Amino acid sequence: MGFFAPWFLAGLAGLALPLYLHLLKKQTTTPKAVSSLMLYESRTQSSTRHRRLRYYLLLALRLLVLLLLILAFANPFVNRNAAALASNRLVLLVVDNSFSMRAGTRLTDAKDAAMSVLAGKGAARGQVASFGSQLRLATQPIEDQAALRAAVQAIQPGDGHGNFGELARAIRAMAEAVHTPIELHLFSDMQRGDLAATFSDMALPANVTLVTHAVVTKAQPNWTVEQVNAPGQVWGKDVKPVHVQAVIAGYGTPAAQRTVSLVVKGKTTAVKTVMVPANGRASVEFPALEAPYGFSQCEVKIDSADALPADDLRRFAVERSDPQKALLIHNYGDTRSPLYIGAALSAAAQSAFILESISVNEAADRKPSNYAFIILSDLNSMPSLLDHSLTEYVRAGGSLLIATGTSAGGRSQIPIFGGHIIEARDYNRIPDRYMAVGSSDSSYPSVAKADGWQGVKFFYALDVDPGVGPDAARVIVRLGDQTPLLLEKRMGEGRMVLLTTGLDNLTNDFPQHPNFVPFIEQTARYLAGSERQGGARPVDAFLELRNARERAQGVEVTDPEGKRPLTLGEAAKAQSIQLTEAGYYQIRLANGRQDEVGVNPDPKESNLDVIPADVLALWQGKGSQVQDAANPNKTPGPATPPKTPQTLWWYVMLLVLTSAVAESVIASRYLGTQREEE
Amino acid sequence: MDQRFLNPAILAGIDGLDLVAKTVVDGFVAGLHRSPDFGFSQEFAEYRAYNPGDDLRHVDWNVYARTDKLFLKRFRGETNSLLTILLDASNSMQFGSHRVNKMDYARYLAASLFYLAIHGQRDAAGLITFDDEIRNFIRPSTRQGQLYRLLAGLEQAEARARTDFAKPMRYFQEFLKRRGMVLIVSDFWESPESIVRAIEPLRYHGNEVVLFHVLDPKDVRPDLKGPAILVDLETNQHLEVTPDYVKKDYRDKIQTHLADLRDRTQAAGMGYCLLMTDRPLDAALREYLTLRGGHN
Repeated sequence: MGFFAPWFLAGLAGLALPLYLHLLKKQTTTPKAVSSLMLYESRTQSSTRHRRLRYYLLLALRLLVLLLLILAFANPFVNRNAAALASNRLVLLVVDNSFSMRAGTRLTDAKDAAMSVLAGKGAARGQVASFGSQLRLATQPIEDQAALRAAVQAIQPGDGHGNFGELARAIRAMAEAVHTPIELHLFSDMQRGDLAATFSDMALPANVTLVTHAVVTKAQPNWTVEQVNAPGQVWGKDVKPVHVQAVIAGYGTPAAQRTVSLVVKGKTTAVKTVMVPANGRASVEFPALEAPYGFSQCEVKIDSADALPADDLRRFAVERSDPQKALLIHNYGDTRSPLYIGAALSAAAQSAFILESISVNEAADRKPSNYAFIILSDLNSMPSLLDHSLTEYVRAGGSLLIATGTSAGGRSQIPIFGGHIIEARDYNRIPDRYMAVGSSDSSYPSVAKADGWQGVKFFYALDVDPGVGPDAARVIVRLGDQTPLLLEKRMGEGRMVLLTTGLDNLTNDFPQHPNFVPFIEQTARYLAGSERQGGARPVDAFLELRNARERAQGVEVTDPEGKRPLTLGEAAKAQSIQLTEAGYYQIRLANGRQDEVGVNPDPKESNLDVIPADVLALWQGKGSQVQDAANPNKTPGPATPPKTPQTLWWYVMLLVLTSAVAESVIASRYLGTQREEE
Repeated sequence: MDQRFLNPAILAGIDGLDLVAKTVVDGFVAGLHRSPDFGFSQEFAEYRAYNPGDDLRHVDWNVYARTDKLFLKRFRGETNSLLTILLDASNSMQFGSHRVNKMDYARYLAASLFYLAIHGQRDAAGLITFDDEIRNFIRPSTRQGQLYRLLAGLEQAEARARTDFAKPMRYFQEFLKRRGMVLIVSDFWESPESIVRAIEPLRYHGNEVVLFHVLDPKDVRPDLKGPAILVDLETNQHLEVTPDYVKKDYRDKIQTHLADLRDRTQAAGMGYCLLMTDRPLDAALREYLTLRGGHN
């Protein structure tokens, strides 16, 4: 018998309160004067005694309620013999099926060990679960041996990355619902990389006993393709060669020479040999990726001949397509904007876009829908026909980048964008003669790779009101005086980005700044909707399927096994999908665009080092060690059956409830008598 | 009748017993509407020939001017009765559960009766205050200023000591030599038998005796919210009493006590009038006038 929270027993001092109210305060009755006691008699002893008895009963009940409440907070427990509880226990069998379990016969060994535990569990209930990146229950708590064995046999190897912290979290949540003792059997390769960041994350509840079954006891050498750097998209015919870079890593390996192959659509296009140092890394570069038009499934492979061949390749997908067209509309005579924007696009975007520059006078006969996005550079006049056609273009899903220079200063509103111009700010007049960026949203694509536009000097900007309500523009970048510099607004199905300064070098020095190139590149990709094409993703990553403007349009996903993992309902609504298997996912996005990604296991799963035995022992024996710490004088003696603390909280709370009801009944009767007298 | 002028709670706000008495009596008389049951001395009855020695104040000088003869104006009820009020000034009379305690109520009552007797009926009125002794005695008289002497006597009557009818009653016999009306104002916290035995001798001289039994509402219907210790105002005795007893047994006992006292006084040929201090004073005044009418 003991208390989980004995400090709450200090609340016993509170028992003095009802004692004071009932016994001490009662004696302070003031005598009451009457004309004469001639007709009064003190022959009411029996009635008073009866009342006094009820009064003391009420006091006793109130003391009892308080006492039990304090006990409930102190959470009493009794140590019960574990053997006595054995019949109530739940044997939970968790088989690790993370990617590293593909090495050798690890998964088979784990399942065999689970089968032998199942055979010896006796009459206790059993439950089977697999554990990759998260705990997946295969059965309910049942006693049917055949069903449990079938569930163990059905466990398949997975591609997820194990984390024992996540396992402990799931078990803690489970233990809140299951009040019987849980005997957790973990069948795993006990990979060191599966340990949680801190040991406390792996702490298990008091009613859970952990038994680990390690299928391997020492580290195994393993080579892997740790990383591949390759573009997700290439455009047009190769003007510049596309490089592919790969990192080969060895875990617990001796120095060895490895052969690295680049495979495109199942065909080996390049082979290289690399010397991987002992327990180290080496990088390989393939100078040219010759991918045909459309999507190509590519791999970088090594000939490792180790225990885990599944990690000897790393997949990625590449799409080759024609460059997209972009339109720049500028003022007649403006030669700076086309120069800077065209140079930035050609320098950065790997010829992804072909920029067509025209003056505003020529824009009337252009069809906006032919362009991936359109840039308006500081137009001093906007023909109503052009205004109308561009507005319709954006509403239908087009994208617009509007830059406002000195020409817009005389206007009250930004054309198409609609923002009210509060004032034009000329920073030439302030002492520093320029204004720098004050704050920026670094998650926004146009800013993310442009280093927050640090060091750029802005001499002139328009203070535009972003508005309020659902149609308000989102401010991405502000200048030091809080003037909005970059804003985004959605209209219909399309979006517009407004730069409140010019794209020439008159109102700022941005075009001559190194950050201008990534800004133009990322903005172009963002506006063209091509920033998420191709490439590679890790297992368990989420892939975005649609953004707001594409809502209610169906998507189609095909997993590496050729199945469709999304139901019809999910295909119509899901914002993203979790990539749970290694291989190639083919996706038809909501905007009709095709995409393909290569999904690879977490590189940490390739490190086959195991958790030291002492750490495992600490994890398993944590509960008993806590009890030992509470009793340091304990001396070794004859073996005693293990004791498990059983909380009495529920019983105490039941007693509290009963006492409270009894107290209410007695008190209401007592008060009821007093009301009659009144 | 305008009860407002007879309400004790309102009278408590008036300074001076003379004003209280005037207010009560004027209000009461205004409400009688010349009832045939009651004779007032202001009401003309007859003329009587003057005899030497008659009070010249009662000669009707208008008739003398017309007829050259002396006639006296006689008024109904003008019989020169004698009124003596015996006022209990014991400690129990201090008890009051509201603004007017029993002593105040008794003072208002006595003052009103004196006013009615002296101003209305031209009776001789006297006052004896007592507890376990006789504390004050003002001889009945019709002299000028008698009313103010009586009112001053009432003002001086302080509640103290305990009631004992037997002891002072022996002396009453000496003071009450002339036949008249004797009104005893008390809360009568003694056994009905001993009260009647003590008072009955007053009746032997041909006096009309009336007991004005003044009680507080809480004397009859006390309330307790829990077991309490009660203190007797006269004996200072303490007693623990429970609400159950007060609610049932006590109320039965007080009703029996009141009925017994009423029966015994009436059986002894005396009048009895129960007055609650939260009720108007008119019942007592009516009782007096009824008695006065029968006395003529």
